[in-house]
Amino acid sequence: MTRNNNSLHFIRHFGTLLLLASSAPLAVRGQPPNGLPTRTDTDPYASSDTDKRAYDKHDLSGLWSRNSQQFKLPPCPECREHGPVPGYGYHGVPPARTAEGEKRFQANKPSRGFDLGSKQANEHPEIDIGMRRAVPPARGNDPQSACNPLGAIRLVTFSGGGASMEMVQAKDKIIQRFEWTWDHRELWMDGRKLPNVADYLPRYNGYSIAKWEGDTLVVTTNGFDDRAWVDHYGYPMSDQMVLEERYQRISPNRLKVDMTLTDPVTYKAPWHGDTKVWALIPKENMNVAGWSGLLEDRCIPTDESQFNKTRDFAGGKR
Amino acid sequence: MRTSLTRSLTVLTVWFSVCSAWAHHGSAISYDTAHLWTTWATVTEFSYLNPHPSMTFDRTVAGGKVEHWVSELLTNPSELARAGWTKSRSIEALKPGTKVKLYVGTSRVGGLSGIVMKLENEKGENIVGLRDALKAVEKEGIPGGLQPTAEEIKEAENDKK
Repeated sequence: MTRNNNSLHFIRHFGTLLLLASSAPLAVRGQPPNGLPTRTDTDPYASSDTDKRAYDKHDLSGLWSRNSQQFKLPPCPECREHGPVPGYGYHGVPPARTAEGEKRFQANKPSRGFDLGSKQANEHPEIDIGMRRAVPPARGNDPQSACNPLGAIRLVTFSGGGASMEMVQAKDKIIQRFEWTWDHRELWMDGRKLPNVADYLPRYNGYSIAKWEGDTLVVTTNGFDDRAWVDHYGYPMSDQMVLEERYQRISPNRLKVDMTLTDPVTYKAPWHGDTKVWALIPKENMNVAGWSGLLEDRCIPTDESQFNKTRDFAGGKR
Repeated sequence: MRTSLTRSLTVLTVWFSVCSAWAHHGSAISYDTAHLWTTWATVTEFSYLNPHPSMTFDRTVAGGKVEHWVSELLTNPSELARAGWTKSRSIEALKPGTKVKLYVGTSRVGGLSGIVMKLENEKGENIVGLRDALKAVEKEGIPGGLQPTAEEIKEAENDKK
Protein backbone atom coordinates (compact mmCIF):
# COMPACT_ATOMS: atom_id res chain seq x y z
CA MET A 1 0.00 0.00 0.00
CA THR A 2 1.31 3.42 -0.87
CA ARG A 3 1.97 6.13 1.64
CA ASN A 4 -0.84 8.13 0.10
CA ASN A 5 -3.33 5.30 0.47
CA ASN A 6 -2.30 4.83 4.07
CA SER A 7 -3.02 8.48 4.65
CA LEU A 8 -6.43 8.17 3.05
CA HIS A 9 -7.31 5.19 5.24
CA PHE A 10 -6.18 7.07 8.33
CA ILE A 11 -8.25 10.12 7.39
CA ARG A 12 -11.29 7.96 6.70
CA HIS A 13 -11.09 5.90 9.87
CA PHE A 14 -10.20 8.81 12.11
CA GLY A 15 -12.98 10.81 10.55
CA THR A 16 -15.49 8.04 11.10
CA LEU A 17 -14.64 7.96 14.78
CA LEU A 18 -15.04 11.72 14.96
CA LEU A 19 -18.40 11.51 13.26
CA LEU A 20 -19.65 8.79 15.57
CA ALA A 21 -18.62 10.91 18.52
CA SER A 22 -20.24 14.04 17.11
CA SER A 23 -23.50 12.32 16.15
CA ALA A 24 -24.01 10.60 19.51
CA PRO A 25 -25.68 13.61 21.17
CA LEU A 26 -28.16 13.78 18.29
CA ALA A 27 -29.13 10.15 18.81
CA VAL A 28 -29.56 10.73 22.51
CA ARG A 29 -31.85 13.66 21.91
CA GLY A 30 -33.71 11.72 19.24
CA GLN A 31 -33.22 14.61 16.87
CA PRO A 32 -33.56 13.34 13.30
CA PRO A 33 -31.38 14.95 10.63
CA ASN A 34 -32.93 17.87 8.76
CA GLY A 35 -36.31 17.33 10.35
CA LEU A 36 -36.65 13.96 8.66
CA PRO A 37 -39.01 11.43 10.22
CA THR A 38 -37.31 9.01 12.58
CA ARG A 39 -36.28 6.04 10.52
CA THR A 40 -36.68 3.36 13.13
CA ASP A 41 -40.39 2.87 12.36
CA THR A 42 -40.32 2.87 8.60
CA ASP A 43 -37.52 3.21 6.11
CA PRO A 44 -38.44 6.05 3.75
CA TYR A 45 -35.94 4.70 1.26
CA ALA A 46 -37.34 1.15 1.14
CA SER A 47 -38.12 0.08 -2.40
CA SER A 48 -41.73 0.41 -3.57
CA ASP A 49 -40.83 -1.57 -6.66
CA THR A 50 -43.37 -4.38 -7.18
CA ASP A 51 -41.31 -6.14 -9.84
CA LYS A 52 -40.42 -9.61 -8.49
CA ARG A 53 -38.36 -10.80 -11.44
CA ALA A 54 -34.87 -12.12 -10.85
CA TYR A 55 -32.12 -9.61 -11.62
CA ASP A 56 -28.37 -9.22 -11.45
CA LYS A 57 -27.40 -7.13 -8.42
CA HIS A 58 -24.03 -6.44 -10.02
CA ASP A 59 -25.55 -4.91 -13.14
CA LEU A 60 -26.17 -1.19 -12.60
CA SER A 61 -26.49 -0.35 -16.28
CA GLY A 62 -29.44 1.56 -17.57
CA LEU A 63 -31.23 4.90 -17.49
CA TRP A 64 -32.09 6.12 -14.01
CA SER A 65 -34.38 8.92 -12.85
CA ARG A 66 -35.71 10.10 -9.49
CA ASN A 67 -38.89 11.28 -11.19
CA SER A 68 -40.45 8.10 -12.57
CA GLN A 69 -43.80 9.73 -13.28
CA GLN A 70 -42.18 12.01 -15.81
CA PHE A 71 -41.66 8.84 -17.85
CA LYS A 72 -45.17 7.49 -17.35
CA LEU A 73 -44.14 4.97 -14.70
CA PRO A 74 -45.64 4.44 -11.22
CA PRO A 75 -44.55 6.92 -8.54
CA CYS A 76 -41.33 6.26 -6.63
CA PRO A 77 -41.85 7.88 -3.21
CA GLU A 78 -38.48 6.72 -1.98
CA CYS A 79 -36.85 8.61 -4.84
CA ARG A 80 -37.98 11.98 -3.54
CA GLU A 81 -36.42 14.05 -0.80
CA HIS A 82 -37.83 13.34 2.64
CA GLY A 83 -38.70 16.02 5.14
CA PRO A 84 -38.93 19.77 4.54
CA VAL A 85 -35.49 20.17 2.98
CA PRO A 86 -35.22 21.88 -0.41
CA GLY A 87 -34.60 19.48 -3.26
CA TYR A 88 -31.60 17.77 -4.77
CA GLY A 89 -28.97 18.58 -2.20
CA TYR A 90 -26.37 16.36 -0.56
CA HIS A 91 -28.32 16.77 2.72
CA GLY A 92 -27.58 14.76 5.84
CA VAL A 93 -26.22 16.70 8.81
CA PRO A 94 -23.40 19.01 7.72
CA PRO A 95 -20.55 18.73 10.22
CA ALA A 96 -18.92 21.72 11.86
CA ARG A 97 -16.60 23.55 9.52
CA THR A 98 -12.96 24.42 10.05
CA ALA A 99 -11.96 28.08 9.97
CA GLU A 100 -10.99 27.67 6.33
CA GLY A 101 -14.24 25.84 5.59
CA GLU A 102 -16.30 28.56 7.24
CA LYS A 103 -14.51 31.27 5.29
CA ARG A 104 -15.28 29.54 2.02
CA PHE A 105 -18.85 28.70 3.07
CA GLN A 106 -19.54 32.39 3.72
CA ALA A 107 -18.02 33.36 0.39
CA ASN A 108 -20.40 31.12 -1.55
CA LYS A 109 -23.77 32.73 -2.35
CA PRO A 110 -26.24 30.09 -3.56
CA SER A 111 -29.55 30.83 -5.26
CA ARG A 112 -31.30 27.62 -4.29
CA GLY A 113 -33.00 26.69 -1.08
CA PHE A 114 -35.15 28.91 1.09
CA ASP A 115 -34.72 32.65 0.62
CA LEU A 116 -32.39 34.20 3.17
CA GLY A 117 -34.45 35.71 5.98
CA SER A 118 -37.76 34.55 4.52
CA LYS A 119 -40.65 33.26 6.57
CA GLN A 120 -40.04 29.76 5.20
CA ALA A 121 -36.38 29.94 6.17
CA ASN A 122 -37.24 31.15 9.65
CA GLU A 123 -39.87 28.44 10.14
CA HIS A 124 -37.31 25.67 9.67
CA PRO A 125 -34.41 26.32 12.03
CA GLU A 126 -33.81 22.57 12.11
CA ILE A 127 -32.57 22.76 8.52
CA ASP A 128 -28.95 23.76 8.17
CA ILE A 129 -28.44 27.44 7.34
CA GLY A 130 -26.74 26.42 4.10
CA MET A 131 -30.16 25.55 2.70
CA ARG A 132 -31.79 28.71 4.06
CA ARG A 133 -29.64 31.46 2.63
CA ALA A 134 -30.61 31.76 -1.04
CA VAL A 135 -30.19 35.10 -2.78
CA PRO A 136 -31.40 36.06 -6.25
CA PRO A 137 -29.05 34.69 -8.92
CA ALA A 138 -28.21 38.24 -9.96
CA ARG A 139 -26.45 38.61 -6.61
CA GLY A 140 -25.29 35.04 -6.17
CA ASN A 141 -22.08 33.37 -7.35
CA ASP A 142 -23.16 29.84 -8.21
CA PRO A 143 -20.46 28.49 -10.56
CA GLN A 144 -23.25 27.13 -12.72
CA SER A 145 -24.33 30.67 -13.59
CA ALA A 146 -21.36 30.80 -15.93
CA CYS A 147 -21.69 27.16 -16.99
CA ASN A 148 -18.71 26.09 -14.91
CA PRO A 149 -18.67 22.33 -14.26
CA LEU A 150 -20.85 21.09 -11.43
CA GLY A 151 -18.45 18.51 -10.00
CA ALA A 152 -19.15 14.87 -9.23
CA ILE A 153 -21.27 15.16 -6.09
CA ARG A 154 -23.48 17.85 -7.52
CA LEU A 155 -23.95 15.85 -10.70
CA VAL A 156 -25.05 12.82 -8.69
CA THR A 157 -27.30 14.67 -6.27
CA PHE A 158 -28.99 16.73 -8.95
CA SER A 159 -29.56 13.88 -11.38
CA GLY A 160 -33.03 12.57 -11.41
CA GLY A 161 -35.47 15.46 -11.10
CA GLY A 162 -35.84 16.71 -14.59
CA ALA A 163 -32.41 15.50 -15.57
CA SER A 164 -31.56 11.80 -15.64
CA MET A 165 -28.48 9.63 -15.29
CA GLU A 166 -27.16 6.63 -17.19
CA MET A 167 -24.80 3.91 -16.00
CA VAL A 168 -22.82 2.14 -18.71
CA GLN A 169 -20.97 -0.94 -17.53
CA ALA A 170 -17.82 -1.97 -19.39
CA LYS A 171 -15.31 -4.73 -18.68
CA ASP A 172 -13.01 -2.72 -16.44
CA LYS A 173 -14.96 0.43 -15.66
CA ILE A 174 -18.40 1.92 -15.25
CA ILE A 175 -19.20 5.15 -17.02
CA GLN A 176 -21.69 7.35 -15.26
CA ARG A 177 -23.37 9.81 -17.61
CA PHE A 178 -25.39 12.85 -16.58
CA GLU A 179 -28.02 14.57 -18.67
CA TRP A 180 -27.81 18.07 -17.18
CA THR A 181 -24.54 19.58 -18.46
CA TRP A 182 -23.93 16.37 -20.51
CA ASP A 183 -21.08 15.33 -18.25
CA HIS A 184 -19.65 11.94 -17.26
CA ARG A 185 -17.29 10.17 -14.87
CA GLU A 186 -15.25 7.00 -15.09
CA LEU A 187 -15.36 4.55 -12.18
CA TRP A 188 -12.33 2.34 -12.77
CA MET A 189 -12.51 -1.31 -11.75
CA ASP A 190 -9.18 -2.50 -13.19
CA GLY A 191 -7.44 -2.69 -9.83
CA ARG A 192 -5.61 0.63 -10.04
CA LYS A 193 -4.95 2.63 -6.91
CA LEU A 194 -6.02 6.19 -6.25
CA PRO A 195 -3.48 8.71 -7.52
CA ASN A 196 -1.38 10.86 -5.27
CA VAL A 197 -3.33 14.05 -5.70
CA ALA A 198 -0.23 16.17 -5.32
CA ASP A 199 1.11 14.61 -8.53
CA TYR A 200 -2.02 15.16 -10.64
CA LEU A 201 -4.10 18.06 -11.74
CA PRO A 202 -7.31 18.30 -9.73
CA ARG A 203 -10.44 17.41 -11.71
CA TYR A 204 -14.02 18.49 -11.24
CA ASN A 205 -15.17 14.88 -11.12
CA GLY A 206 -12.00 13.63 -9.41
CA TYR A 207 -10.32 10.25 -9.89
CA SER A 208 -12.54 7.27 -9.09
CA ILE A 209 -11.85 3.61 -8.38
CA ALA A 210 -14.58 1.06 -7.70
CA LYS A 211 -14.89 -2.48 -6.37
CA TRP A 212 -17.62 -4.85 -5.28
CA GLU A 213 -18.07 -5.58 -1.60
CA GLY A 214 -20.76 -8.22 -1.69
CA ASP A 215 -23.61 -6.63 -3.61
CA THR A 216 -22.42 -3.09 -2.94
CA LEU A 217 -20.35 -1.17 -5.44
CA VAL A 218 -17.95 0.94 -3.41
CA VAL A 219 -16.57 3.93 -5.29
CA THR A 220 -13.76 6.01 -3.83
CA THR A 221 -12.82 9.32 -5.40
CA ASN A 222 -10.09 11.88 -4.73
CA GLY A 223 -8.36 14.69 -6.57
CA PHE A 224 -11.28 17.12 -6.71
CA ASP A 225 -11.14 20.64 -8.05
CA ASP A 226 -12.00 22.86 -5.11
CA ARG A 227 -13.81 25.40 -7.25
CA ALA A 228 -16.85 23.11 -7.35
CA TRP A 229 -19.53 23.22 -4.67
CA VAL A 230 -20.64 20.08 -2.86
CA ASP A 231 -24.21 20.77 -3.92
CA HIS A 232 -26.60 23.54 -4.98
CA TYR A 233 -26.37 25.13 -1.56
CA GLY A 234 -22.82 26.37 -1.71
CA TYR A 235 -21.14 23.98 0.69
CA PRO A 236 -17.42 24.18 -0.08
CA MET A 237 -14.88 21.43 -0.64
CA SER A 238 -11.09 21.30 -0.78
CA ASP A 239 -8.83 19.41 -3.15
CA GLN A 240 -8.09 17.07 -0.23
CA MET A 241 -11.65 15.75 -0.10
CA VAL A 242 -12.20 12.00 -0.44
CA LEU A 243 -15.64 10.76 -1.39
CA GLU A 244 -16.98 7.27 -0.78
CA GLU A 245 -20.15 6.20 -2.60
CA ARG A 246 -21.89 2.90 -1.92
CA TYR A 247 -24.26 1.90 -4.73
CA GLN A 248 -26.77 -0.92 -4.44
CA ARG A 249 -29.36 -2.18 -6.88
CA ILE A 250 -31.92 -2.89 -4.17
CA SER A 251 -34.62 -4.27 -6.49
CA PRO A 252 -35.00 -4.82 -10.24
CA ASN A 253 -35.97 -1.19 -10.81
CA ARG A 254 -34.28 0.72 -7.99
CA LEU A 255 -30.73 1.97 -7.48
CA LYS A 256 -29.60 3.67 -4.30
CA VAL A 257 -26.45 5.34 -3.14
CA ASP A 258 -25.10 6.38 0.24
CA MET A 259 -22.28 8.90 0.22
CA THR A 260 -19.69 10.00 2.75
CA LEU A 261 -17.25 12.80 2.16
CA THR A 262 -14.16 13.31 4.28
CA ASP A 263 -12.46 16.67 3.96
CA PRO A 264 -10.41 17.66 7.02
CA VAL A 265 -9.43 20.96 5.41
CA THR A 266 -13.08 22.03 5.29
CA TYR A 267 -15.05 19.91 7.79
CA LYS A 268 -14.22 18.71 11.28
CA ALA A 269 -15.82 15.29 10.68
CA PRO A 270 -16.90 13.11 7.77
CA TRP A 271 -20.23 14.05 6.29
CA HIS A 272 -22.84 11.42 5.41
CA GLY A 273 -25.31 12.58 2.80
CA ASP A 274 -28.90 11.41 2.73
CA THR A 275 -29.62 8.29 0.71
CA LYS A 276 -30.55 8.87 -2.93
CA VAL A 277 -32.76 6.44 -4.82
CA TRP A 278 -33.42 6.26 -8.57
CA ALA A 279 -35.96 4.33 -10.62
CA LEU A 280 -34.93 2.39 -13.73
CA ILE A 281 -36.45 3.91 -16.85
CA PRO A 282 -36.89 1.66 -19.91
CA LYS A 283 -35.34 3.47 -22.84
CA GLU A 284 -38.65 3.33 -24.69
CA ASN A 285 -40.10 5.56 -21.97
CA MET A 286 -37.25 8.07 -22.21
CA ASN A 287 -38.07 9.21 -25.68
CA VAL A 288 -38.28 12.56 -27.43
CA ALA A 289 -39.36 12.78 -31.06
CA GLY A 290 -38.61 9.10 -31.62
CA TRP A 291 -35.09 9.24 -30.16
CA SER A 292 -34.61 7.47 -26.85
CA GLY A 293 -31.98 8.01 -24.17
CA LEU A 294 -30.54 11.02 -22.38
CA LEU A 295 -31.00 14.46 -23.86
CA GLU A 296 -27.93 16.50 -24.70
CA ASP A 297 -28.84 19.01 -22.05
CA ARG A 298 -25.74 21.18 -22.04
CA CYS A 299 -25.09 24.39 -20.19
CA ILE A 300 -23.91 26.59 -23.07
CA PRO A 301 -22.05 29.78 -22.11
CA THR A 302 -23.50 31.91 -24.89
CA ASP A 303 -27.04 30.79 -24.06
CA GLU A 304 -26.41 31.22 -20.36
CA SER A 305 -25.09 34.72 -20.98
CA GLN A 306 -28.26 35.63 -22.85
CA PHE A 307 -30.40 34.12 -20.11
CA ASN A 308 -28.43 36.00 -17.46
CA LYS A 309 -29.48 39.31 -19.00
CA THR A 310 -33.11 38.42 -18.28
CA ARG A 311 -32.28 37.06 -14.86
CA ASP A 312 -30.12 40.01 -13.85
CA PHE A 313 -32.81 42.44 -14.98
CA ALA A 314 -35.31 40.59 -12.81
CA GLY A 315 -32.86 40.74 -9.92
CA GLY A 316 -32.66 44.52 -10.08
CA LYS A 317 -29.46 44.91 -12.13
CA ARG A 318 -30.83 47.51 -14.54
CA MET B 1 -57.08 43.30 -3.57
CA ARG B 2 -55.19 40.34 -2.26
CA THR B 3 -56.78 38.41 0.52
CA SER B 4 -54.97 36.11 2.89
CA LEU B 5 -57.05 33.17 1.58
CA THR B 6 -56.06 33.92 -1.99
CA ARG B 7 -52.47 34.23 -0.89
CA SER B 8 -52.53 30.89 0.90
CA LEU B 9 -54.22 29.05 -1.94
CA THR B 10 -51.87 30.54 -4.44
CA VAL B 11 -48.80 29.70 -2.40
CA LEU B 12 -49.89 26.10 -1.95
CA THR B 13 -50.93 25.62 -5.55
CA VAL B 14 -47.77 27.11 -6.94
CA TRP B 15 -45.54 25.28 -4.47
CA PHE B 16 -46.88 21.84 -5.28
CA SER B 17 -46.94 22.59 -8.98
CA VAL B 18 -43.46 23.88 -9.46
CA CYS B 19 -41.24 22.68 -6.65
CA SER B 20 -39.47 20.20 -8.93
CA ALA B 21 -38.75 22.82 -11.54
CA TRP B 22 -37.35 25.27 -9.01
CA ALA B 23 -34.42 22.99 -8.51
CA HIS B 24 -33.17 23.42 -12.03
CA HIS B 25 -31.65 26.85 -12.10
CA GLY B 26 -32.81 28.77 -9.07
CA SER B 27 -34.75 31.22 -11.22
CA ALA B 28 -37.94 31.51 -9.24
CA ILE B 29 -36.22 33.28 -6.36
CA SER B 30 -36.03 36.41 -8.49
CA TYR B 31 -39.80 36.52 -8.95
CA ASP B 32 -42.90 36.72 -6.79
CA THR B 33 -44.35 33.35 -7.72
CA ALA B 34 -46.73 33.47 -4.77
CA HIS B 35 -48.82 36.20 -6.40
CA LEU B 36 -49.60 35.34 -9.99
CA TRP B 37 -51.68 37.41 -12.37
CA THR B 38 -52.98 37.02 -15.89
CA THR B 39 -52.94 39.19 -18.95
CA TRP B 40 -53.32 38.89 -22.69
CA ALA B 41 -50.13 39.75 -24.52
CA THR B 42 -48.49 39.64 -27.93
CA VAL B 43 -45.23 37.73 -28.30
CA THR B 44 -42.42 39.88 -29.70
CA GLU B 45 -39.50 37.44 -29.33
CA PHE B 46 -39.08 33.89 -28.03
CA SER B 47 -35.82 31.97 -27.47
CA TYR B 48 -35.88 28.23 -26.74
CA LEU B 49 -32.61 28.06 -24.83
CA ASN B 50 -31.09 26.54 -21.72
CA PRO B 51 -31.41 26.95 -18.86
CA HIS B 52 -34.87 28.52 -19.37
CA PRO B 53 -36.55 29.92 -22.48
CA SER B 54 -36.86 33.68 -22.56
CA MET B 55 -39.65 35.72 -24.10
CA THR B 56 -40.42 39.38 -24.63
CA PHE B 57 -44.01 40.46 -25.01
CA ASP B 58 -46.18 43.54 -25.33
CA ARG B 59 -49.42 44.20 -23.54
CA THR B 60 -51.81 47.09 -24.04
CA VAL B 61 -53.07 48.80 -20.93
CA ALA B 62 -55.56 51.55 -20.10
CA GLY B 63 -55.25 54.56 -22.35
CA GLY B 64 -53.85 52.46 -25.17
CA LYS B 65 -50.33 52.52 -23.80
CA VAL B 66 -48.19 49.52 -24.75
CA GLU B 67 -45.92 47.96 -22.15
CA HIS B 68 -42.81 46.05 -23.22
CA TRP B 69 -42.06 43.14 -20.88
CA VAL B 70 -39.06 40.85 -20.45
CA SER B 71 -39.64 37.34 -19.12
CA GLU B 72 -38.35 33.85 -18.70
CA LEU B 73 -40.46 30.72 -18.86
CA LEU B 74 -40.67 28.47 -15.83
CA THR B 75 -40.28 25.21 -17.71
CA ASN B 76 -36.82 24.34 -19.00
CA PRO B 77 -36.19 22.95 -22.51
CA SER B 78 -35.57 19.34 -21.45
CA GLU B 79 -38.85 19.21 -19.54
CA LEU B 80 -40.63 20.87 -22.44
CA ALA B 81 -39.17 18.42 -24.94
CA ARG B 82 -40.18 15.43 -22.85
CA ALA B 83 -43.70 16.83 -22.63
CA GLY B 84 -43.86 17.07 -26.43
CA TRP B 85 -42.98 20.78 -26.65
CA THR B 86 -39.97 20.35 -28.88
CA LYS B 87 -38.01 23.35 -30.12
CA SER B 88 -39.73 23.59 -33.50
CA ARG B 89 -43.21 23.15 -32.06
CA SER B 90 -42.59 25.72 -29.33
CA ILE B 91 -41.13 28.31 -31.70
CA GLU B 92 -44.11 27.83 -34.02
CA ALA B 93 -46.53 28.22 -31.12
CA LEU B 94 -44.86 31.43 -29.92
CA LYS B 95 -43.82 33.13 -33.13
CA PRO B 96 -43.79 36.95 -33.01
CA GLY B 97 -47.27 38.42 -33.24
CA THR B 98 -48.99 35.50 -31.50
CA LYS B 99 -51.62 36.44 -28.92
CA VAL B 100 -51.31 34.53 -25.67
CA LYS B 101 -52.77 34.62 -22.21
CA LEU B 102 -49.98 34.60 -19.65
CA TYR B 103 -49.79 33.67 -15.98
CA VAL B 104 -47.06 35.91 -14.66
CA GLY B 105 -45.10 36.37 -11.45
CA THR B 106 -43.55 39.85 -11.41
CA SER B 107 -39.92 40.44 -10.52
CA ARG B 108 -39.58 40.84 -6.75
CA VAL B 109 -38.01 44.25 -7.25
CA GLY B 110 -40.85 45.30 -9.55
CA GLY B 111 -40.86 46.65 -13.08
CA LEU B 112 -41.83 45.13 -16.41
CA SER B 113 -40.05 41.85 -15.77
CA GLY B 114 -41.52 38.50 -14.80
CA ILE B 115 -41.56 34.75 -14.96
CA VAL B 116 -44.23 33.15 -17.12
CA MET B 117 -45.59 30.15 -15.29
CA LYS B 118 -48.24 29.16 -17.82
CA LEU B 119 -49.35 30.13 -21.32
CA GLU B 120 -52.66 29.68 -23.11
CA ASN B 121 -53.44 30.26 -26.77
CA GLU B 122 -56.57 31.95 -28.07
CA LYS B 123 -58.40 28.61 -27.98
CA GLY B 124 -57.71 28.35 -24.26
CA GLU B 125 -55.22 25.50 -24.73
CA ASN B 126 -52.23 25.18 -22.41
CA ILE B 127 -49.11 25.63 -24.55
CA VAL B 128 -45.31 25.46 -24.12
CA GLY B 129 -45.51 24.34 -20.50
CA LEU B 130 -46.60 21.63 -18.13
CA ARG B 131 -48.54 23.33 -15.38
CA ASP B 132 -52.28 23.76 -15.52
CA ALA B 133 -53.57 24.15 -11.95
CA LEU B 134 -52.38 27.68 -11.21
CA LYS B 135 -54.40 30.30 -9.39
CA ALA B 136 -53.96 33.88 -10.49
CA VAL B 137 -55.76 37.21 -10.41
CA GLU B 138 -56.77 38.94 -13.66
CA LYS B 139 -54.99 42.19 -14.40
CA GLU B 140 -56.04 42.70 -17.99
CA GLY B 141 -55.36 46.29 -19.07
CA ILE B 142 -54.11 47.37 -15.66
CA PRO B 143 -50.79 49.22 -15.97
CA GLY B 144 -47.90 47.21 -14.58
CA GLY B 145 -50.10 44.19 -13.95
CA LEU B 146 -49.63 43.07 -10.37
CA GLN B 147 -46.61 44.84 -8.95
CA PRO B 148 -45.08 44.12 -5.52
CA THR B 149 -46.01 46.48 -2.72
CA ALA B 150 -43.53 49.06 -1.46
CA GLU B 151 -42.94 46.84 1.56
CA GLU B 152 -42.24 43.81 -0.62
CA ILE B 153 -39.84 45.79 -2.80
CA LYS B 154 -38.07 46.95 0.34
CA GLU B 155 -37.74 43.32 1.45
CA ALA B 156 -36.32 42.38 -1.93
CA GLU B 157 -33.92 45.32 -1.81
CA ASN B 158 -32.80 44.21 1.64
CA ASP B 159 -31.96 40.81 0.19
CA LYS B 160 -29.39 42.56 -1.97
CA LYS B 161 -27.40 43.58 1.07
